[in-house]
Amino acid sequence: MAAERHAEVSWSGSLMEGSGRIESTGSGAIGGLEVTWASRSEPDESGRTSPEELIAAAHAACFSMALSHALAQAGTPPERLDVQATSTFVPGTGITQMRLDVTGRVPGMDEAAFRAAAGQAKEDCPVSKALAGNVEISLDARLES
Amino acid sequence: MPRIERTAQAVWEGNVARGSGRFTAASSHAFEVLPYSLATRIGSPEGRTSPEELLAAAHSGCFAMSLASELTQLGNPPKRLDVTVTCVVDDVEGRGHLVVESRVDVQASVPGLDEDRFRAAVRDADAGCTMSALIRGSAEVDVSARLSD
Repeated sequence: MAAERHAEVSWSGSLMEGSGRIESTGSGAIGGLEVTWASRSEPDESGRTSPEELIAAAHAACFSMALSHALAQAGTPPERLDVQATSTFVPGTGITQMRLDVTGRVPGMDEAAFRAAAGQAKEDCPVSKALAGNVEISLDARLES
Repeated sequence: MPRIERTAQAVWEGNVARGSGRFTAASSHAFEVLPYSLATRIGSPEGRTSPEELLAAAHSGCFAMSLASELTQLGNPPKRLDVTVTCVVDDVEGRGHLVVESRVDVQASVPGLDEDRFRAAVRDADAGCTMSALIRGSAEVDVSARLSD
């Protein structure tokens, strides 16, 4: 069964001087967020989100679900997973890299098995598949000590 | 060449079917601790966002900027662009859940621009949009656009 999700953005003016707004999303969970070229392309984002930050959020959320699924299937569901995703955007080239960092609290699992499960989840998650071929995805996985 | 980094954080607790997560825009803090779950990702959203909705938001934001840039280069910066993107995920036999399509719908108010030049600008905006390029690597991108008053 296909699932559809949508979002609406408005933009006024030129790229450099104009500004946009993520007006609403189908779920209503996010909306009214300002976006500008400056917030996207300058090192300091001044409280505004960007397409690249949204991709990082999508990937972090997607990866966490794929990994929880893999761990539960192995008989060791996680107590908690902390995932950080960082995208690298090179203006004029595009999104070149995504770095996933995950720390897990998984009773009864050893480090090697956790790393293997995380590696598999990196391949399987739908956002990884959508980025595959265009974006270099790296992973650092460790168990909470 | 500048390299711009943006970070987001997610926390997940429990298994995939009954557990739940929440995530935060760690770079900008433009949104914080939004909850998500499998049920609201593939079923009714019930007010919760999902990775695919965030992809749709990223694509619509990116496309709007790309088109604003093309129109400005033509000497016709837009008065207003409304861009709606719908991201479609399907369970593809043998390959699991995949993003199969991103549908872009543009309504544009651009003083002084004729239909032909608008169509060309939309094509160039699609070709230059980072998110269109990413998604096209693995799925379809369909763009429809119209000029309004």
